[in-house]
Amino acid sequence: MAGTTIASARPTAREAGADSGPGTRRRLRPAGYLWILPALVLCVGLIYYCIAYTAVISTWDWDGIDPFPEKVGAENYVRIAQDPIFWRTIRHTVVFFVVTFVVQTALGVVFAVLLHSRVWLGVVYKVIIFIPVVLAPAITAPVFRRLYAPDGQFNWVLEHVGLGGLAQPWLGQESTALPVIMAITVWQWTGLTFVLYFAAMSQIDPSVLEAARIDGAGNLRILASIIWPGVRGTTVALGILSAIGALKTFDVPYLVAVGGPNYATEFLGTYIYRKTIAQSHVGYGAALSVILLVLALTFAIIMQVRGREKDGVS
Amino acid sequence: MFEVRSRGARLLLQLVVTLLVLPFLFPLVAMVQGSLAGDGWGNYAAVLAVPGLWRFFVNTVVIAASVIVIVYAVTMLAAYGFSKLHIRGREIYFWLLLACLTLPEVVLLAPLFTTAQAFGFFDTYWAVILPLAALQVPFAVLLTRNFVNGIPDELFEAARVDGASAVRGFIHLIVPLTRPIAAAILIFTLIGAWNNYLMPLVFLQSPEMQTITLVPQFFVGQFSNDQTKILASAVLTAIPEVVAYLCLQRLFERGLAAGALK
Repeated sequence: MAGTTIASARPTAREAGADSGPGTRRRLRPAGYLWILPALVLCVGLIYYCIAYTAVISTWDWDGIDPFPEKVGAENYVRIAQDPIFWRTIRHTVVFFVVTFVVQTALGVVFAVLLHSRVWLGVVYKVIIFIPVVLAPAITAPVFRRLYAPDGQFNWVLEHVGLGGLAQPWLGQESTALPVIMAITVWQWTGLTFVLYFAAMSQIDPSVLEAARIDGAGNLRILASIIWPGVRGTTVALGILSAIGALKTFDVPYLVAVGGPNYATEFLGTYIYRKTIAQSHVGYGAALSVILLVLALTFAIIMQVRGREKDGVS
Repeated sequence: MFEVRSRGARLLLQLVVTLLVLPFLFPLVAMVQGSLAGDGWGNYAAVLAVPGLWRFFVNTVVIAASVIVIVYAVTMLAAYGFSKLHIRGREIYFWLLLACLTLPEVVLLAPLFTTAQAFGFFDTYWAVILPLAALQVPFAVLLTRNFVNGIPDELFEAARVDGASAVRGFIHLIVPLTRPIAAAILIFTLIGAWNNYLMPLVFLQSPEMQTITLVPQFFVGQFSNDQTKILASAVLTAIPEVVAYLCLQRLFERGLAAGALK
């Protein structure tokens, strides 16, 4: 007991004596380096090692097995710049990001607002919206292949609501394959958007809403002027996550449509996989990976900086 | 959020939510319905009778549990360090970690493949566990750090004044107080590890090492593309995750509300 008293008395005395500057307190905090070390070793160690390795491979013409790969400098990158499929994957990624982000944000906000209002059986709705997040694309892919097949349930529903003329082989033709992939992605991830908005909205001060209501603001006005600005941070964070998610997209297009028909649902991720594993152009795949990484990092930094500027905090 | 006074408006609200939720429900219904088509429950019996199916489950459980343990331990330690302890230039380390969020797993394929073979990790659990954990940690640290920032510093100072070391601060304050965000981390990590497809596809080649995300393809061969059995296997593999989510739902939401992305 006596030992603890003495040990604890020392920092207190120091704190009292040096209590002149604002920085003194922080200096008394124990060092945290050891605590963050495991995370850094695991992530930075493994991932940065892989990035460096990928960067090296990207200058080789390599099939993944040959012990003496030919070093070709920037040739892979030059070939990528002239590769029409690469530019198609970029276009797909941009369209995919804009559409899925806008739709998911709209749906997420609407669901969050509605389920924060007085709705019967709110939990049931929440669970239904979130369950797709929990299911693996590998598991749901067979369901969707079935659903969007020419004789699948989607066309069946169209026929039964009098839109039979719209029935078509959704995944079998280039014009509709990408929209189907986007629809599946929205189905899969809206639950996450919703849960994060729902959480952010529960932090909005009810008295502000009350005050606005007393001033005569209607529901839509409150949504536009209080709720939407109030969840800005979540929107920016989700924007970054969806952009990176769009660049990373692999599971859904690969499992549902294998990037086809005729590259109509090819994304950078599926293209890298096709090149690296299926065609054994490992060097080319590595160069694509480096480009993907640079794009993702650039986008994350731009979004982060711009998001902060508008917030008015540094 | 929305204030509805009249009964009619409330019914309208209910109707709107119901209509909006239908498209989300539809594929789930199609999945369950499809799995019961033809032989009915016989499909499930046929799937469960396949020898080696348990192997897929056991492999996935081992991998997911290991990833969760690693991610939880590493994340809590790091969040405490970043939020409550002194680290010079800590934002630099934090951004080094966050940059990993942008990394798609396909980028890891080629380097990990050669490295795993060189170290003899190929076709072992480690070849999947370590990269999965490394990919999950950055997001987990981001969420947890925000959450720990919300715990008042005074609590830790008081503990220090009472003679508690950083380690005891961790055990007696961080571990119990972060339970809600831990539930969120647990669910996200479970989803990430349980659902991962690419890593097992590439790094686990022998049949007795494969995970449940590879089951549908396995069944395409096994049942010569009998869709009802494939859907039955899909429902079976989804059950553990749905149960985990339902059990942790309340804690999960509380954790997100306090540690929500900012």
